[in-house]
Amino acid sequence: MTPVQLAIVTLLAPLASAAVIALFLRRAGGLASAVSVLAATLIAGAALMLALGNFRFEAAHEWFQLGGLSLSLGIKFDDLAALMLSVVGVVGWCIHVFSLGYMRDDPAHARYFGGLSIFMFSMVGIVLADNLFMLFIFWELVGFSSYLLIGHWHEKQSASDAAKKAFIVNRVGDFGFLLGIVMCYWSNGTVNLTALSSHHVFSMLIPLLLFCGAVGKSAQLPLQIWLPDAMEGPTPVSALIHAATMVAAGIYMLCRINVLMVPDALTVIMWTGTATALYAALCAITQSDIKKVLAYSTLSQLGFMVAAFGLGPTQFIYDNFSDPKIGMLLMQTGVGAAMFHLSTHAFFKALLFLGSGSVIHGCHHEQDIFKMGGLRTKMPLTFWTFTIGVAAIIGFPYLAGFFSKDAILYLAYANNRTVFAVLAFTAILTSLYMVRLWKLTFLGAPRSDHAAHAHEGGFTLTAPLVILAVLSVLGGYTSLYPKVFTGVFSLIPEAEGSAHTVIVLTSLAVMLIGAVGAFALYRPAATDSLAQKSPGLFGALTALKESFDAVYDYYVAKVQQRFAMLLNFLEQIFLSGLIVRGLAGVAGLFGLGARALHVGNLNVYVYWFLGGLTLFWACAAGLL
Amino acid sequence: MIHSLYDPLLLSIAVPLAVAVAIAFGLPKRWSVRLAYVGFAAPALLALCVWTRYAGGPQDHGYAFLTHYNTGLSGLGITLTLGLNGISLPLFVLASLVGLAAGLYAIQSGAERLKIYLMLLLVMQAGLMGVFASVDIFFFYFFHELALIPTFIMVGVWGGRDRTYAAMKLTIYLTLGAMLSLVGLIALYVKSGATSFDLITLRDYLAAHPLGETVQKNIFGLLMFGFGILVSLWPLHTWAPLGYGAAPSSAAMLHAGVLKKFGLYGLIQIALPLLPAGVGHWSHPLALLAVVGNVLVIGLITMAQRDLKQMIGYSSVMHMGYAFLGVACFSALGAGGVVLLMVAHGLSVALLFLLATSIHHRTHTFDMDEIGGLAQKTPVLAAFFVAATLASIGLPGFANFWGELTIFIALWHFSPLYATLAVIGVVISAIYGLRAVARVFFGPSTEALSQVTVANPPADLRWSEKIPALILLAALLFIGFWPKSLSTPLNATLAAAYPAPAQAAAK
Repeated sequence: MTPVQLAIVTLLAPLASAAVIALFLRRAGGLASAVSVLAATLIAGAALMLALGNFRFEAAHEWFQLGGLSLSLGIKFDDLAALMLSVVGVVGWCIHVFSLGYMRDDPAHARYFGGLSIFMFSMVGIVLADNLFMLFIFWELVGFSSYLLIGHWHEKQSASDAAKKAFIVNRVGDFGFLLGIVMCYWSNGTVNLTALSSHHVFSMLIPLLLFCGAVGKSAQLPLQIWLPDAMEGPTPVSALIHAATMVAAGIYMLCRINVLMVPDALTVIMWTGTATALYAALCAITQSDIKKVLAYSTLSQLGFMVAAFGLGPTQFIYDNFSDPKIGMLLMQTGVGAAMFHLSTHAFFKALLFLGSGSVIHGCHHEQDIFKMGGLRTKMPLTFWTFTIGVAAIIGFPYLAGFFSKDAILYLAYANNRTVFAVLAFTAILTSLYMVRLWKLTFLGAPRSDHAAHAHEGGFTLTAPLVILAVLSVLGGYTSLYPKVFTGVFSLIPEAEGSAHTVIVLTSLAVMLIGAVGAFALYRPAATDSLAQKSPGLFGALTALKESFDAVYDYYVAKVQQRFAMLLNFLEQIFLSGLIVRGLAGVAGLFGLGARALHVGNLNVYVYWFLGGLTLFWACAAGLL
Repeated sequence: MIHSLYDPLLLSIAVPLAVAVAIAFGLPKRWSVRLAYVGFAAPALLALCVWTRYAGGPQDHGYAFLTHYNTGLSGLGITLTLGLNGISLPLFVLASLVGLAAGLYAIQSGAERLKIYLMLLLVMQAGLMGVFASVDIFFFYFFHELALIPTFIMVGVWGGRDRTYAAMKLTIYLTLGAMLSLVGLIALYVKSGATSFDLITLRDYLAAHPLGETVQKNIFGLLMFGFGILVSLWPLHTWAPLGYGAAPSSAAMLHAGVLKKFGLYGLIQIALPLLPAGVGHWSHPLALLAVVGNVLVIGLITMAQRDLKQMIGYSSVMHMGYAFLGVACFSALGAGGVVLLMVAHGLSVALLFLLATSIHHRTHTFDMDEIGGLAQKTPVLAAFFVAATLASIGLPGFANFWGELTIFIALWHFSPLYATLAVIGVVISAIYGLRAVARVFFGPSTEALSQVTVANPPADLRWSEKIPALILLAALLFIGFWPKSLSTPLNATLAAAYPAPAQAAAK
């Protein structure tokens, strides 16, 4: 099998799995999960074979041709795609296996695994796409699979609302994304990524419009509102889609189009990411739901990645073209730091989410951390792996997050000190809320019956935790990565000399301040210590979290819906009512005479109809 | 005059018509239903056969399967000329598939006076096949009327709430639209000085003797508003939601799905290629009406609907706005997008009307506030409805996506401002579509629904309902995954009839 064929199989296997499940295995949950896990295994295996075998290729097949527009289904498999596909394959496989145990008792087993397969299909499509239209198609499809999976327990009103919200908010982002692609097409005559990288028109609007897509998918301010609600989905879904892979697709997309970037656009991107990182970290502090804390933490880390991308210094390389606007080529080195953090984050955040899934499963679907406690002894394996995850995310030395976060902090230190200060402060908060979560969940005495009777899950639940824990420990050593990802990892900025000292010290300091603060502040109790000690601050943070939802809710219910009702009213009164009924009245007068013919017998009408037709024909044919 | 014994186009018109006549002459009910299956299935099989044979087959003046039949009207320049080009082929296939689905659904519906109902549907089906197979403008119009009149009767007799008023309004509006376009077509014929209604002759003649600009402008205006009423151009659309709300499901499926496309088809096939100077005068007003009226205003009004069928009716009016925008672009890409959207919208709106009726059978209401949590009881129906909704809001993988995407691309070239406004519609349709799904199917069961269903618990979709739904859904997915099946013939025809694109695109 050639590499191209293998890549096509990787793409189509999950689609086939979803189709088989939808058509034949709706009532056979066990078989459906087997098919889906088989597809995931195939993806993981093929991804690693392609990536590590150092196969790099491009292939395209024309898909659609109309009026000068030609659109192809193509694969661009470079180092960037190889890295992303490996992450998606490995993390996806772990989560499929975890789902086997987690969803065992769910009556709609088959639908769940069918949804996971559709998701894998769409995500692999995004990774492999060689042009923006194809990227957009799979981009919409991941949105659809996310909709399906968030709304998995559709009989719950909150799940139904969350699914709808996620899809619509993503569509708002896609509004800009689609316009950006169309504009890119008309300005450059192509949307092929390779063609664009060698030749494109300088524009600020195109990258910003494309960035709108990332704002929606990666839940950046001001479209971040859908991600916390998306936690209504089953926990493995939150781990796979709403933490490790799909939400990171926005960052991947930015890295894909990095040649189109211009300095002004990058500034906007940098500040959006920075603001999101800070805002989400502030929100995370007051959460009491274990998944919501992790959701806000995900938002914050995505903000780090977006900021990293925006912070990358740009280098202009002028070609020999006479027109400077066309001959300019732009290289952007934030890609390395962003993708590095994306990979390590995928490992430790998937680990944390699956760990929380294990906790929720063990505590009989209790999600409130104030009703947990004491799980250290009840669920030791979950405790130790979760601890590794927490240590990795807060940047404990020599774990994955330490290296990737330092790369971002260095980039900020070198390029923009304000951003550096904000991100460092955010890192303190990260450490604070993660240690708070860890302490309240695992330490102290159990604070509810569920926690007291918690138990470790089966093999399918624990094995993925161990694998991801190992990756969270080792994922930061770029030297451990096979040489095949050099195209991405060579771009990671590395601090040297005094800057190196500054970064390492800052990084250690922020981690310690946050962790010590959390240890000092939070007691394993049934109430939030911050709310007791400083109600004002707690209230302000809660209000901050709720402000966005309040504004949007007001807009939707009070502005948009009322405007729609008003238009509907006008339509019924004026267009349908006065004008049309008035006209109909006039016509009715003419109809009075004809009314005698309307006897109400259907057969008569039909004969009139046939008779009239014959008459008409006879006249037209000149027979009469 | 080439006559062969087997002409798929003539047969696809003649078979349903023959069955209708047989039923009219008093065939017993059992035989009527059996023959009706033949009458609905024959055009679908013939159309699929034609579709597969179209590529690579012989063509005559850009038309495949071209045949002429003398009907005794040649003195007036009228001959029954049948043929298909890349524009009419997709719609011919659409008409046959929606006809089959509507027919099967009608047969299982057990409507009162089923024989006459089926007879009228078969007449409509024959008319629809004729509209898209006709190369002669007279017969193009004639077949439209043949299909239109049964619609009025069906709405008036088998309709739901407000059927008398709806039938009246439908008749007035659509007759007015049809008359305006007839005047336009006759004017075109007279002013051209050609001696035949045959589109091929007319096209060649006008290429040699183009019409003056003022004449073109006036005729195009007549056609635009005449056809516009038939396709529900804002603000001449109010017949549509009301009519579809009242119409029996199979009539709504055939009208909204296929017959409504007559106007757009007329614009794409006749008006744009023959009146290029006329388009230039009207494209901006048309685009403005379509984007502000159909897409934005009607989009918001759709959000405010409580009645499921009315909502589908309004959403259909909104999507026609995209089609008008594609027409206004006056490019091969825009026109191609319109054809793709017509096919996709026809399939998806027919599917939605079908499913809405199936929902009504189970809940006895169309009021979305009274339904809720239906998915727990009818998961298959829910899955179909979700798929149909996502198709209609343009999710990739379904045919609708290609229509919308190509229209947006073409529109940006015409005017970035209109394109930006039109793409807002993508968000609006997601809001009303998903809101309807959530209200009807998700969340806990409502009080009202439990009361209705306690005595008579709703069963999931039966096979007799599933099969017509599957036909439509399979077609949507097939085109969605393999758009070339339509775009290749379409591209060849449009390249000949429309101005070359301003910028050839690289891959």
